[in-house]
Amino acid sequence: MSFGRFVLKRSLQGLGVVWGVVTVVFALRFVTPGSPINAVAPLDATPETRQAIAAELGLDQPLYIQYGQYLFNLLQGDMGFSYIRGQEVVGLVFGRLPATVELALAASIVAIALSIPLGVLSATRRNEPIDYGATLLSLGGISTPNFWLGIMLILVFAVEFNVFNTSGRGVDVGDVALSLVGSEPFIGTLLAWLAYITLPAIALGTYFMALITRLTRSGMLDELSKGYVQAARAKGLPQTLIRYKHALRNTLIPVITVLGLQLGTLIGGAVITEAVFSWPGLGTLVIESINRRDWPVLQGSLIVIGTSFVLVNVLVDTVYAYLDPQVVND
Amino acid sequence: MVSARVIRNLKKEFRNSALAKIGLVLVISIILIATFAPFVATHDPTAQQLDQSQLPPIGFSETAERTSSQMVDGEIQTVTETVEITPDPDHVFGTDSLGRDMFSRIVYGARTSLAVGVLGTLLAAAVGVPVGLLAGYHRGTVDDALMRVADVSLAFPSLVLAVALIGLWGRAAMDVPDPFVVAGLAPEMPESFVLPITVVIVVGLVNWVWFARVARGEALSLRGQEYVKASRALGASDNTIILRHVLPNAITPIIVLGTVQVAAIILLESSLSFLGFSGTTLSWGFDIAQGRDYVSSGQWWISSIPGFAIMLSVIGINLLGDWLRDALDPGIEGEGGAA
Repeated sequence: MSFGRFVLKRSLQGLGVVWGVVTVVFALRFVTPGSPINAVAPLDATPETRQAIAAELGLDQPLYIQYGQYLFNLLQGDMGFSYIRGQEVVGLVFGRLPATVELALAASIVAIALSIPLGVLSATRRNEPIDYGATLLSLGGISTPNFWLGIMLILVFAVEFNVFNTSGRGVDVGDVALSLVGSEPFIGTLLAWLAYITLPAIALGTYFMALITRLTRSGMLDELSKGYVQAARAKGLPQTLIRYKHALRNTLIPVITVLGLQLGTLIGGAVITEAVFSWPGLGTLVIESINRRDWPVLQGSLIVIGTSFVLVNVLVDTVYAYLDPQVVND
Repeated sequence: MVSARVIRNLKKEFRNSALAKIGLVLVISIILIATFAPFVATHDPTAQQLDQSQLPPIGFSETAERTSSQMVDGEIQTVTETVEITPDPDHVFGTDSLGRDMFSRIVYGARTSLAVGVLGTLLAAAVGVPVGLLAGYHRGTVDDALMRVADVSLAFPSLVLAVALIGLWGRAAMDVPDPFVVAGLAPEMPESFVLPITVVIVVGLVNWVWFARVARGEALSLRGQEYVKASRALGASDNTIILRHVLPNAITPIIVLGTVQVAAIILLESSLSFLGFSGTTLSWGFDIAQGRDYVSSGQWWISSIPGFAIMLSVIGINLLGDWLRDALDPGIEGEGGAA
């Protein structure tokens, strides 16, 4: 199979999964106790009013028509209307998405920047103090609930030392970029951005930092014991070259796959981190819409979350196939 | 299955690893604390004593501002005074905003975490392992269908799916009578153990797919083995082969995954109770949530202590998982987290 065909096949598979995601989300409404009419109708609505609402929402149609209509609307970018908020769902969900993506990216950057050097150091200096330190740190990291870590960070850095903001988003990363060319002072905008994002990014990123450190360490140990590394040593190649060019590169391939699969954990973690820091993202939207029984918004958010997961995993597999052509033939 | 070689490996790995010893000690302590909660706890975890609220843990004195109404020169005035609050030796970990004993709440919270962790994992395994084994063994349509269902299932983050399902189905909980109270060995306590049923079912349903994936992978590699082919040639039925030959040989990675899953589900449960999606108030996540409002006013312990309890339990279970993985099968990669 050629690389192109592999990408095409994987994309079609991804499309199938997205269709599954949409179907599950559509079905959620029908395993819910209570009719969706209740969310719209006033408590004292007459049966006639309720029937009119049902007709308005298309709920008097047979199920397959409703499903078809739902898919058709989605394809046209229509996720329905939130009667509780009086807003189109699409605008609401995509209005919140950038904040979550920003938080998730910032957390990933914190995680990757710290974990890969730490994992490599830990593996190359096995059983030295730095290895023990890294092992303990990563053990603590995968075992700490991120919402609690967030509260502890607030306790130390915001309450005791008063250096970071604990709630909300302040300026977004776009403002920081604009200040490079615009009239706003760049440093000031950057600091304002960091004041809000630093604590949530650390709270969310710590688990991944710990996970990637563990994976990098065990992967590096595995690679360094292999024949090709010994051959390279025997050839007299410099240690740095062997470690970083050969061993680390081979270690990172499986690490990337696990990260793709763990993206769900990252988004799930973002939901609760957003709740701790009142970050105005998709996560807070999901919680709000469940508490207010705002089904169209919940459905829209779930579809966007599920689709992002599929999209990132198709991308990861494509990168993987590019780095390791053997995958294409499996 | 559990052979002499497996036990030898477990012992050898245990002797060589200080971390495995720490893990075992932590896990056994938590199991003992959860089981014998009525004897370990010093107070009723739900009894409120408003005159003893917000007492700091032993070793920490706190200053707090208290406002009261006083008669000054014949007029009622609101007076704010700074008072020093000293810990009460009766409350080792202090008290929360309603004067409930934090130590006893932590002790009873261990029951919720452990029960949800273990029952949720068992449910996930009970669904995932048979499905995975059947799919991997038979391959074909069943297998394709399973893999597609798994793909869709993985696309929803555990926490988001759990929150959505609990939001839809409600927060059912069941009072479980304490065996020691029933036997008359411990004094009666209201709400000594409330099992959040919906949470158990939802975390089980959300995490079954990890078990299905591992079981499927094992069945796929085992179905081609000589002894499986031999028993098929001897006329054994597929179900017999799966039960007698495939499952016993696939059990090791499933046990390792199970350990990791208990830890992951304890974290998931604490997240759900933190967000208010549990059915019980005797939970570490719930206490972190109620203490959160007091962090900025100086009562740091209400949120901090339950978090340390979660961390220690999960560290213990993860260390145990590492030990089992290293001893049973050095080839298994760590996979299957869900927080």
